Amino acid sequence: MAYSELVKDYGRIRGYMRQFIAYGFRSRSEFGAKSARSYDNEKRRVESWLGESMSFRRDKDGKAVFLSVDSRRIPRNPLHKSWKAASFTRNDIALHFILLDILADGQPRTLAGLLESIDKEYLAAFENAEPIDISTLRKKLKEYVDIGLVAAVKQGKQYQYSLPIDAVHLAGWQNAIAFFSEENPLGVVGSFLLDKYETQRSDMFTFKHRYLLFALDTGVLLDLLTAIHAQRQVELEMAGSRNGDARRVATIPLRIFSSTQGGRQYLSAFNPLRKEIAFIRLDSIIQVKTLEHVPDYEACQKRLEEALPHIWGVSAGRYKLQHIEMLLSVDPKDRHIVGRLEREKRCGTVESLGGNRWRFSAEVYDARELLPWLRTFIGRIVSLSCSDKAVENQFWADFAALEAMYEEAMHGEAMYRGDGDVV
Amino acid sequence: MLFSEVYSAYFNAVAAVITEALTGNLAIKDLGRIINDKAFSESMLTIPPALIGGEWLVMDKSLQTPIKRKPQMPLTILQKRWLKTLTQDPRLALFGVDLSELEGLEPLFKPEDFVFFDRYADGDPYTDTAYIGHFRAVLTALNEKRRIQIAYRNRYNRLINGIYVPYRLEYSSKDDKFRLETAGGKHAAYINLQRITSCEVLEAYAESDLLPPKRRESVVTFLLTDERNALNRVMLHFSDCRKETIRLEGNRYQVRLWFEAQDETEILIRVIFFGPMLKVIAPDDFITKVKNRLAMQRAIMDQAEED
Repeated sequence: MAYSELVKDYGRIRGYMRQFIAYGFRSRSEFGAKSARSYDNEKRRVESWLGESMSFRRDKDGKAVFLSVDSRRIPRNPLHKSWKAASFTRNDIALHFILLDILADGQPRTLAGLLESIDKEYLAAFENAEPIDISTLRKKLKEYVDIGLVAAVKQGKQYQYSLPIDAVHLAGWQNAIAFFSEENPLGVVGSFLLDKYETQRSDMFTFKHRYLLFALDTGVLLDLLTAIHAQRQVELEMAGSRNGDARRVATIPLRIFSSTQGGRQYLSAFNPLRKEIAFIRLDSIIQVKTLEHVPDYEACQKRLEEALPHIWGVSAGRYKLQHIEMLLSVDPKDRHIVGRLEREKRCGTVESLGGNRWRFSAEVYDARELLPWLRTFIGRIVSLSCSDKAVENQFWADFAALEAMYEEAMHGEAMYRGDGDVV
Repeated sequence: MLFSEVYSAYFNAVAAVITEALTGNLAIKDLGRIINDKAFSESMLTIPPALIGGEWLVMDKSLQTPIKRKPQMPLTILQKRWLKTLTQDPRLALFGVDLSELEGLEPLFKPEDFVFFDRYADGDPYTDTAYIGHFRAVLTALNEKRRIQIAYRNRYNRLINGIYVPYRLEYSSKDDKFRLETAGGKHAAYINLQRITSCEVLEAYAESDLLPPKRRESVVTFLLTDERNALNRVMLHFSDCRKETIRLEGNRYQVRLWFEAQDETEILIRVIFFGPMLKVIAPDDFITKVKNRLAMQRAIMDQAEED
């Protein structure tokens, strides 16, 4: 099949883009594409869409393509462009412009009336143009009614088609759309709206701590949010089993947990078999299939609400509460550290113990989740205690490993050789 | 449906070409400009042959189109519902848009559908009347390219008063805060909107007065050991930054990360977050800062033992 810049299925390109953007060191041979040509085509497409944002490097493993941008310095997410690369047929593009043009005069028309206009007023301009089939036109009208581009009113036995009356005037929205197209979780839709403005204003917003990659998961996110609103169960097609085969999981979607610091988004869902809350990374979900309505949906949501005050990040562990406590020594000149504790404490508590001593404590289901955050206070930690001693031991083992790494840095390379724990 | 041709760059490009054709001023040479502006870098290979070759039935080789009116696409239900979704976001109040037009629509989601679990708790006060006033003044100054007089309290609580040429408004999702970045070359400043006590939009500035801020860039290089899923975590965590990763032997990688010099402490904290999975190997002063923290910690531990 000849190469095309456009694709029919977004899922096909999503995995490639993630590899280019998040990792950027994998070369052609490591992509596991069905053929070298598949890799070449996907790479060419992504380069065509993202243009100057892409870089490449050649090393002993071959040429590695990557997107290396400081998301703070680009006002608009270049990945939104990938959502504007859907393929189409000749009839799709012809009918799009012709139908909207015919109906632009405000006069409603029947299917037969539209077909006649298309033939006489539009196709007649082209020699040997094949006429549009009535069933093709009917199908296109139904599609456009469904997405809101055309309104249909039944009069007698037939439908009258017209353009919908648009009550929304976009003129006053440009700044808001420019901001939310980058900041709203479904910002891609805002990017479609920005395309409608004839005059593009110079970009006045920039975004720090912005994860461009979230844009790739917008389709999955929209499907999940739709299912959440309809209180329906879903079947998720998941990537990532060790043999590369997709697997399927039936679950009840509840809320989206989004990390503003880790570049990850999770679905929190109630597993109807295990009767517990699970967290599933959005980037591991290939497809969402909506299933039946869940009659006791509120009860599932209540389970999550009850657990929330004890969930630090995205784990409910074994639903057994663990107590964790950190004592800090904070010099009066370093009061910003207390400010950090206060704004970053989440479900924890911060107390002054008098003098320079401050205590952070929390009751959580999975204290192991706090380890990376606790490390950021290295230099001021007087004591750390946890009802799960393994967490405490891990923290100090990591500290000792860090010390060893930097002590030996002057004499040779010491690198961490850790165990296989997932933190 | 989200991935649909009605939102596509090709449809946008064709609409723009038809718009130009209807003015009677379209020439072949204009196609490249319009298509490059609206579509992708290789679209010139596809759009012109299909469009003016008559295949798409909306234009012929003499650049004539049977389309009679400038192409206009109504808003889709998805687009309207997205706008409705924004009305539930407290930050929309900052922009002063007319919400009455969206009555009767269902939002795509509700704010409570999301948990931003690691967002800082001291975000800007979006419902505060004075804050909204300051935000709108800053937005006006940016839109209309006008100077702005701002009084604000700096991090040491000192009142600063100055006249600035606004450059960009920066938002951080992690901090949940807006900061105004001002022009002025090396004298450029960041002003937290929450810290503004008063501001007034002044006269328009000349283009020559817009000196983009001069940023000092730093780079840190670290070795990554892929234990405990560190590769995946580190790559995603730092995917907001410009970085380059090279695979070394076994489960080891070398990462070069670029950042603004003024954010060094933040980057230091982000590196320490990963503990012994990351080892900074350059520059020396960054290594020294990591070592200082470790030494401080060792001193506290030794003191505790003595006590």
